[in-house]
Order: sequence, then structure tokens, then C-alpha cells
Amino acid sequence: MRRFSRAPLLPEAGQGGAPLTAVIAVISSLACLALAAFILIASASNAWTDELKSSFTIQVKGVDAEEIGERLKSAQEILSSTPGVENIKVVESKDAAKLLEPWLGKGNADALNVPALIEVKLNKEAQTDVAALSERLQSISPGVILDDHGGWNDRLADAARSGQALAFAVFALIMGAACAISIFAARAGLSANQEVVSLLHLVGATDDFIAREVQRRFTVIGLRGSMLGLLAATFLLTLFSFATRARGGEGFFLPGLTIGPELLIPLLSVPFAICLVTAIAARLTVLRTLRETY
Amino acid sequence: MIVRFDNVGLAYEIGAESLKDVRFTLNEGEFRFLTGPSGAGKTTFLKLIYLALRPTRGRMTLFGQDVTDAERDMLPPLRRRIGVVFQEFRLLDHLTAFENVALPMKVAGVNQQQYREDVRELLNWVGLGSRMDALPQTLSGGEKQRVALARALVSKPDLILADEPTGNVDPQMGEKIMKLFVELNKLGAAVIVATHDLQLVQALGKRTMRLDGGRLYEDPPMRASGRMR
Repeated sequence: MRRFSRAPLLPEAGQGGAPLTAVIAVISSLACLALAAFILIASASNAWTDELKSSFTIQVKGVDAEEIGERLKSAQEILSSTPGVENIKVVESKDAAKLLEPWLGKGNADALNVPALIEVKLNKEAQTDVAALSERLQSISPGVILDDHGGWNDRLADAARSGQALAFAVFALIMGAACAISIFAARAGLSANQEVVSLLHLVGATDDFIAREVQRRFTVIGLRGSMLGLLAATFLLTLFSFATRARGGEGFFLPGLTIGPELLIPLLSVPFAICLVTAIAARLTVLRTLRETY
Repeated sequence: MIVRFDNVGLAYEIGAESLKDVRFTLNEGEFRFLTGPSGAGKTTFLKLIYLALRPTRGRMTLFGQDVTDAERDMLPPLRRRIGVVFQEFRLLDHLTAFENVALPMKVAGVNQQQYREDVRELLNWVGLGSRMDALPQTLSGGEKQRVALARALVSKPDLILADEPTGNVDPQMGEKIMKLFVELNKLGAAVIVATHDLQLVQALGKRTMRLDGGRLYEDPPMRASGRMR
């Protein structure tokens, strides 16, 4: 029976329930995408730096092929006695010269005395002392140089940090927009319901009571809208994940975007954050407006 | 003492004072009629008492508390002790008759189980037992008046203010309403009824005040005509 229902004391009309839900849904989906970008960049950055930290390249230079061969052999001996070296791949001078053929033309690189290369893969758990290894290799000759990709690593970390900061800034801006929209909608709602608010006061309602009524309404709208936004964002991320895999991007540049708990749990917090922001903004706006107007 | 006005004046932002130098005291258990021509300031006088307005001059005391410059946090508990029947009803259109009557109880945080029977009883008493679920826009003027009356009385207020409470009801219902005010007054509630109906005033023989040109004049009690005995 209607008479025992918990009808809201502030009517739906005038507060734009459906448009507000739609706006919050859009805001929520953008916030989810910004957060997903933040997580994706963090995960990609970790994958890249892990890969770089667990491998390095040794460049073996010499005056001729014979000297390069000797130094290469010594270097291999040192590597074989170094704990934590999981795998080595030697790129002989002639093979390295072949790599330059697309730029220099066939046979032209042979005359350049191209250094040999050793690609070394480390066991991630072993914690190999790369600096000590570099010193031992240098003891063979200054022409044996260990490149631990430190420069690349730093640049990638910087780029990742910038990307994360940007994603976080976008997320914060979106939250600010949610806050601004709530303030606007709460003010419009109060203005449209002046008669109701005035009567509530006259029958003894406190400002806090009226603010709670508005807050309850905004919590419902916020939750409804932000859950819709989460669904939309999850759908878009799933499409993105399929697209990345279909292009073979996974494992090369982008670490495959998996819609798993490590992504979904943080994303689930977005509707609650938006709900909280909209409800608190609406409550504070109502309390302030009531004090100023009534 | 329920209400006390000491040289109260009230001026809206533009224009002269609507009320001038009003001195008035209403004690527990008193019943007063407020009469006067249209525009004399009857509604403004009642608005001051139910704290919709504050005096711009003088001092005003309500239930023993000076409310002239009271903080707004102090007002809701005082307003809950006052039942008001507004001239224009002021029912909430999105709430049913039942919900409108229950509003003061809901606002006061009373559990629905506790007030459900009181609300039903009051609506039955005003003859709207079958229209509890009706929205105000489907009610006639008289029915709205009765819902407004039930809402004013549901919380058993210490002070009842009624602005033309019989203006939209038939004479029989008007008498019934006035008798109810008299009964509530006997039970201890102070009552002020603003009305144009001088016959009704004379019939009850209660003390009368008259507002004219913003000034309040206290008339001697009128002799009851016996029409409503």
C-alpha cells in the first residue's frame, strides 16, 4: 500500500534524476578508463623494467676478427662461471654485420670490423652482481663493454611515471567534475523544491534532516549512474583487450590487458568513490544553501 | 508562558511595517481568536509565532525562550511544538494524504509503527478514512483543509495556530473543527485561530484580538451565543 511506503520527501521532479544519472554514468566510465590507464601503465612499466633488468648486452670490440674471437671466448668463460647467468646468445661479428645490411647494403659491413655481441639473460631470483661482472669483463680488455640498459630503463621509468601522473590527473579532474555536477544539481534541486523545503522547516525539520534526504537521493543516483559507467568502461576495456591481442601487441609493447581481479577490484572502487563524492558534495551544498537562503 | 511579544515590529525589505508595537502574551491553555480585515497582518502575526519570520524590532519569547535573534539550530524543536493549519493548506503534492499527515512525525524521527494508528485515526475523524492514499491534487478544497488540519494536530502540539481553518469547509465541518480546537484547548493546548467568521467567534465566546493597520487590539471576551453548544 502506498500509504506505508517510504516515499522520498523531496520529489523527483526538478532534480533531473535521469539526466543526472546519465551524466554520472559518463563521468564514472571516464574515471574507470583513467584508472585502468594508470594500472595498465604501471603494469607495462614493471614488465618493461623487469625485462631490462634481467638482461644485458656485452659488446666485444677488437682490432680484427681474431682478437674479437679471443676476447669473445674469454668473456664466455667469465659468464659461464658467473652465478645467475641463465642463458647467453652470441652474435658473432659476421652475424652482427648481417644485421647492418639493410642500411649499408650487402657485403659492405664486412669491412667495418663490427663488434661481436653477447645477449645475456639472468635468472631474476639470483641477484647477480652486474657491476662486479662488468669489472671482470673489463679486465679482459677495455674493448669488452657491458651495457645493462640502464639508460633505457631510466627513460622508460620516467615515461611511465609521466603517463601515470597524467592518468591520475585526468582521474582527479573527473572526480572534480563529479563534485561540481553534484553541487549544481543539489542547488537546482533545492531551488525547484523551495516550497517543500520551506514546509519541512516549518514542521520542525532540521537542516541536517533535509540534507540527509538530499544526500540519500544523490547516493542512489550516484550508485546507479556509476555502476552503469563501470559496466560501460568494462565493456570498452574488454574490446581494447581483444583488439590488443588480435594485433599481437600482447607481450611485445603492451603487457596483455587482462580483465582480472587486479584490474576489476580497483575499478569497483570507482562507483563507490563517485557515490561518496556526489553525496558529500550534495550534502555540504544543501547545508550551505539552507543557511544562506532559508 | 507560551508566547510573548514586547513591542514587536515587523517590516519586510520594502515598505512600511506590517506589524507595529505589538504587545501580546499567550499563556498555557489559552484560546484566542484573531480577527481583522484582509491585509491587517493576521497571517504575518501567525508567521512570527510559527517562526517563519523574525521580528525586525522588539523582543519575542516562545515557550519561555527568547527567539528574537535565536540561532537557527534552536528553532526546529520549538517548531515541533506548534501545529499550524495554513490558509493555503501547503500540502506536498507528491505525498499521499496519509504521508502528508504523517510528515511532522517523520521529521521528528518517530517510528512509523508508533504514529500509523494516530494518523489513521485522525484521518478517519476528519472524514477522510477512505482517501488516505489520495494525492492532494485529487482532493477537493475542503478535503485538503481537513488533511492540513490533521497534519497540524498529529504531533499533539502545545500550541495550535490556525489561519482561516474553516474557510474551505461546509458549516457543519467548520463547527466540528472548531469544537475540536476547543477540546484540544481543554486538554491543555493553547490555540490561536485567525478568522473572518465573526459568528463563529461569537458562538464560542473566547477572547478575541483584532489586528488593524498592523496594530493589535485586545477586545474583551465575547459572550457565547450558544449556537455551538
